[in-house]
Amino acid sequence: MAAISNAFVKYFVPRHFRFEALVALRHLSTGGGQTILTVSAVATGVIIVVFITSLIFGLQDMLTEILTDAIPHLTITVEEPEPRTLQQVSGGIEGPASSRIEQQAPKLKFIDNWPQVVETVRSLPNVRAVSAAVSGQVFASKGANTIGVSLIGADPDKQDVISPVTPNLLGGRYLGLASDEIVIDAQLAQDMNVSTGERVRISSGTGASDSFTIAGIYSRGQGPGGAAYVTLRTGQSLLGYGTSVNVVNVKLIDIYNADTVADSIMALLPYEAKSWTREFPEFLTSLQAQSASAYLIAVFSLVASGFAIAAVLIVSVLQKSKQIGILKSMGARGRQVMIIFLLEGFGVAIVGSTLGAILGSLIVYLIGLIERPATTAGQDPERLFPVRFLPLYIGLSMMAAILSTVIASVLPARRAANMNPVDVMR
Amino acid sequence: MNIKDRSITTSNNARAARLPPVVVETRGLRKTYFGKIDVPVLFGIDLQIRAEEFVAVVGQSGSGKSTLLNILGALDSPTAGTVLINGVDISELDSDGLARLRSAEVGFIFQQHYLLDEFTCLENVLMPITIRHGDVTDEDRSRMTRLLERVGLGDQINKTPDEMSGGQNQRCAVVRALANSPRIILADEPTGNLDSRSGEEVFNLMREMNRESGVAFVMITHDDRLARAADRILLIEDGLVHEISREEHRRRTADSLLT
Ligand SMILES: Nc1ncnc2c1ncn2[C@@H]1O[C@H](COP(=O)(O)OP(=O)(O)OP(=O)(O)O)[C@@H](O)[C@H]1O
Ligand SMILES: [Mg+2]
Repeated sequence: MAAISNAFVKYFVPRHFRFEALVALRHLSTGGGQTILTVSAVATGVIIVVFITSLIFGLQDMLTEILTDAIPHLTITVEEPEPRTLQQVSGGIEGPASSRIEQQAPKLKFIDNWPQVVETVRSLPNVRAVSAAVSGQVFASKGANTIGVSLIGADPDKQDVISPVTPNLLGGRYLGLASDEIVIDAQLAQDMNVSTGERVRISSGTGASDSFTIAGIYSRGQGPGGAAYVTLRTGQSLLGYGTSVNVVNVKLIDIYNADTVADSIMALLPYEAKSWTREFPEFLTSLQAQSASAYLIAVFSLVASGFAIAAVLIVSVLQKSKQIGILKSMGARGRQVMIIFLLEGFGVAIVGSTLGAILGSLIVYLIGLIERPATTAGQDPERLFPVRFLPLYIGLSMMAAILSTVIASVLPARRAANMNPVDVMR
Repeated sequence: MNIKDRSITTSNNARAARLPPVVVETRGLRKTYFGKIDVPVLFGIDLQIRAEEFVAVVGQSGSGKSTLLNILGALDSPTAGTVLINGVDISELDSDGLARLRSAEVGFIFQQHYLLDEFTCLENVLMPITIRHGDVTDEDRSRMTRLLERVGLGDQINKTPDEMSGGQNQRCAVVRALANSPRIILADEPTGNLDSRSGEEVFNLMREMNRESGVAFVMITHDDRLARAADRILLIEDGLVHEISREEHRRRTADSLLT
């Protein structure tokens, strides 16, 4: 051990610091319990940080994935006019004025040249899939039973990428939907007391009405409100869009860059592109709150380990006060003594944070292996902890631990440097 | 009485021209410890220590022997007066300058050996060189090894202090004090913790090094025989230094004034 540390000092430490490095290394290598204690304190801090960040950011990824799997990342629609007051609308016509803000009466918002829109958007970077669709409110009826429902007319292949139906089917099929077929939500099926293969009538506000065979029933497990799906052509004629659509949905590769893509779409096309982050700001806020708590836990654990290290180092400086005295009597300068103890802190930091990073990664890896039985039969078992291996955060937590440990050793080191040999050797 | 009188060393003026150079000199040195109550210890001391000398310092416990020794070695500073170490006024040096001066010109030996527990005997004796130069050369290593062999520690060089006896440790500490070839070695009761045989060994060793290399020694001791074996005996009494002859020392110890 001594031979190794001597060789290390001889070949890797500049001559100017060899005395300091030699003594510091020897203190550490012969320090026994104290060294183990300080190294474990740093390692524990890093383990906690590595674990917490990978767990929280893994959880965030999973939540984001679940959310953004089910929804389009971008929707392109015709720009909605700003809501105006009645005054503005009536253009100053006499009569009782109201300052209430009224949404304009809903009117059809056509995207006529949608094939061109789809082409343009598809050519943008970070775009995974583009799908044109029509959506609107219709009535579904079976006998005397009539229920309002949102209808989406879209190409099933593409819709399955944007907002998947097929994986959520409880029965029947969605892909290969015929023009007189419909896929409905399980709640609606229950409310109307219908099942796959039966027929329902769909009528729209434009007066169009037709009878459809239920090709499939799905559930996203989100309660009522699930849309009914038909083909694009059927949707267009039911809702009176002709060959137009009213929305183009986009799925992205990197969902956190949705705003950038939205901006470039709006620069290219005269339509409004809304990113999922703008549509669900609360979700982003909750992600940010989670991140903030992860950082807080990280900071607290590093501060705690810093205090532990400072305490142990102060004790060791006190224990070594006679040695410090004799070193000074032999001509060691205060600076040299200070560097000894700073180097000790640094050595503890390097070893502790490396150990912590290795153990932390191992724990993250092992915990990621734990599975829980699949919720649905036939599906793959899911991971119990959605941990994510984040090399960047491991590196950052190592650096933070090194920094906090060195800071923690400043006070003991200065104390050592200022010791008066005459006082400590009496 | 003041040592400047030099009444008991040779009074031959012709010889004075051939006297070895002064290594440490004090003029009007005073020391008071300031605290809750101020403790005046030294009241104006003038003395000269020359190269090649072996000086014993005696005096009652609490008389200020250690205080004086620490100041002579630039480990502590006087309240008033001048201290010159190798001609350098220590009041003109900052703490780094004092450390460098100690490193180059002074060696210390204490009652406890104060070897570093984590290092072997050889590493300990090389420590002053490491502090001074950041490194030791192979030459340093063989020189110090030879010195350790000479003092009978040849087969102990790779042992740590807790694996050696008190006498062996103290011999190691003597060798360490010699590492940077200082001009003066200040020894504060170096045999105080040892049995008389080991004490004598350590003393003889110091005397030998003194004769051989000419390094001046100032040794505080409570051992009358060792004091009388020195070239000069300085008695500290009532905050002042008196040089006394061996005869006077013998008489005073007989009256048991020094114990
Ligand atoms: N740091 C200090 N603060 C206050 N008083 C001190 C301090 N150091 C020493 N003294 C006092 O100064 C006086 C001289 O102390 P010193 O240690 O020099 O005596 P000494 O002659 O070496 O004694 P001993 O033979 O017991 O070692 C004593 O009265 C001691 O109590
Ligand atoms: Mg003393």
